[in-house]
Amino acid sequence: MKNSSGACCNRSAGGCAGCADAGTDRRMESNCGGHCHHHRDSARPDSQIKQTPVGKLSGFVGFLRAQGLSVGIGETEDALQALNLVGFEDRETVKAVLRTLFAGSKAEQAVFDRCFDLYFVSEAAFQANQAAMAQAQQELEARRRELEERLSVQGKPIDIRDDLKDVYARMPQSERDRLKDVMDDLSERMKHAPKLYEGFIRSVFMKSLLEQQMLLEDAAEGAAQADSDADLMFRNISGFRDADLPRAHALINQVTRRINGEIVARRKRTGRSMALDFRRTIRAGLSTGGALCRLRHKPRHSHRKHIVMLCDVSASMLQFSEFALRFIKSLSEVSDHSEIFLFSEQTQRVSPFALQNMDLFGDYVRSSGVWGRGTNVGRALDAVLSAAPPVLTPNTVLLVLSDAKTVGLDRAEVSLIRASKAAGSVIWMNPIPEAKWQYLKGPARLRRHCSMVPCGTLEELARACQRLISG
Amino acid sequence: MQLKQRLGEESYIADDTLVTTLYVAVKLNRPLLIEGAAGVGKTEVAKAAARAFGRELVRLQCYEGLDESKALYEWNYQKQLLAIQMGSREGDRQSMKDLFGEEYLLERPLLKSIRSETPVVLLIDEIDKADAEFEAFLLELLSEMQVTIPEYGVVRARSLPFIVLTSNHTRPLSEALRRRCAYLYLEYPDMEKEIAILTSKLPGLDEALASQVARAVAWLRHSEKVSKKPSVAESLDWASALMALGAQELDDESCAQTIGFALKNNDDIREMLSDEEFIRSLL
Repeated sequence: MKNSSGACCNRSAGGCAGCADAGTDRRMESNCGGHCHHHRDSARPDSQIKQTPVGKLSGFVGFLRAQGLSVGIGETEDALQALNLVGFEDRETVKAVLRTLFAGSKAEQAVFDRCFDLYFVSEAAFQANQAAMAQAQQELEARRRELEERLSVQGKPIDIRDDLKDVYARMPQSERDRLKDVMDDLSERMKHAPKLYEGFIRSVFMKSLLEQQMLLEDAAEGAAQADSDADLMFRNISGFRDADLPRAHALINQVTRRINGEIVARRKRTGRSMALDFRRTIRAGLSTGGALCRLRHKPRHSHRKHIVMLCDVSASMLQFSEFALRFIKSLSEVSDHSEIFLFSEQTQRVSPFALQNMDLFGDYVRSSGVWGRGTNVGRALDAVLSAAPPVLTPNTVLLVLSDAKTVGLDRAEVSLIRASKAAGSVIWMNPIPEAKWQYLKGPARLRRHCSMVPCGTLEELARACQRLISG
Repeated sequence: MQLKQRLGEESYIADDTLVTTLYVAVKLNRPLLIEGAAGVGKTEVAKAAARAFGRELVRLQCYEGLDESKALYEWNYQKQLLAIQMGSREGDRQSMKDLFGEEYLLERPLLKSIRSETPVVLLIDEIDKADAEFEAFLLELLSEMQVTIPEYGVVRARSLPFIVLTSNHTRPLSEALRRRCAYLYLEYPDMEKEIAILTSKLPGLDEALASQVARAVAWLRHSEKVSKKPSVAESLDWASALMALGAQELDDESCAQTIGFALKNNDDIREMLSDEEFIRSLL
């Protein structure tokens, strides 16, 4: 978040802690130390505008809008009025006031906090940050020099790219020492065959650095993912660690609760049938002396979806199937009597009551005998089609939870066509990203005969479930 | 600071963010929308604010099917019918205007709050449970501080009520409603605040026991295994139950006897009492 001149982006945008809480120029100087962008440009008329509280607030509002928050003119006026009331001196108070008026939900509050801390840097934090950055830079320089001094081949520094030098500089001390030991060891042998060993040493060195680079990138990715709930929603389910699972389960409950709430609200909006309920209308009319002022209608019967779920529990699919089942079973619009079939190479029909406690799903599947084998979609579909009494009727939705990588693709295709004729509709939730379907035989062929939706993340899964019950 | 002190006098422990938010909302006369998990004390904010400002609290509890006749006004039909019958007997036909006059208007909480001579605190509790139509109907009140009754006309607020809306987030609220409100998200209180709440609400409670209860409650709230997290009221109940039993400390035995005051789900209770980590955390 730095611009080319090294100033923080918030400063170039015309704001800083000092400026936000300054009522006068003098106070601004004392608080921001004069290093914000507009102090250097104070001769310019636009920078004079930016120095006023209104200018600073409007700059911040512009920044918030750029980050996706919808802040109106009315709110900005209110904020200015409120800041005049509480004063500009205390950073936390200013933050609380602006957050109250500019953020309208918990998610927006998180965005606001991030923006505020970026835009209004306190003087102490700015100085500390500058000092820490200067120190880190010095350390990096020292390690780069160390690379040239300690790690040389026949007195010549090893010739590597600059970005790999940075990787070396960021490696932990233990790794740098290990590399030095290896190099020393190889240098001894080099005396016997200099040319052979020169190339070898370089390749060993490069390999170590590249491995470290990957580790650093992974660590950075891990840190970036650690981890608001929002991140978990958008991460690939197959990449969930064991530690993520309880939070993922809690998230699923939260999301299904929201979906159920929306459904209830929608049903309330559209749920009234046009048929009059005479009994209730006459009763309501008693309060108006028999005049039927308020008509009462019969409620529309809700038709819960009867779903036949075919869950792939081959080794790689267990996690996904569990999440999808958790979602679907928590939806109030799904009938309690929906059928569940587990399949890999074999197929097994499960009583809905056996899976009431989804925490035991993994254990149940592992002991079922179908877990951990290959995938045979054709056989599974045939088992569903031949179930007696028939489970697929025009009123049922067949839901397949699988990555569609199956043996016997021809048979699977034929069975899927038969199933789509027998069931009301066939929806296929596939954890593989949609962009890859065209390169994979299974998804490419099977998607022609059903509605295949990508469900690689919890967010996609939630969207697919919402579509499933509203469609 | 004065407001914080006044809230404190009403036994409401408020942090600086809450006080600032409350102050700004009152000063700007903006409705305050409070969201948070069930039991964090959203309703209590409105109650404490009413006491601290010395205003009457008018409460409207929302539920599915709530409509304007229950929230805003209703015509007194019986009285209107009587008036018509009496009028026809005496040969004096009531004009429609007279029939829809103030005399026949039954005030419900929303109308009461804006027609009050002295400003009140209007609590619209659990707005997410009401229908979207009701939410849309509220917009006029929230932004213009007036309501329109078709047969009567526009009723403008005689005094401006301070409106507090609470939501458990069972369904998302409309953007239009959010835009008109100041917003506060309440988290469960931290340990320190929980202890302060316990000792302030239960004067005889031993501080060591209060801190044990607060620690156990914080543990339960953070545990993924607990499906229904204990609310502040439940932690108060738990501490009261321990006091009633004369327990000096919260150990595994007293916990087993009283945990039903904090957890209201048999699976949760069974899970927690068999969780060694939880039992260890009590000691």
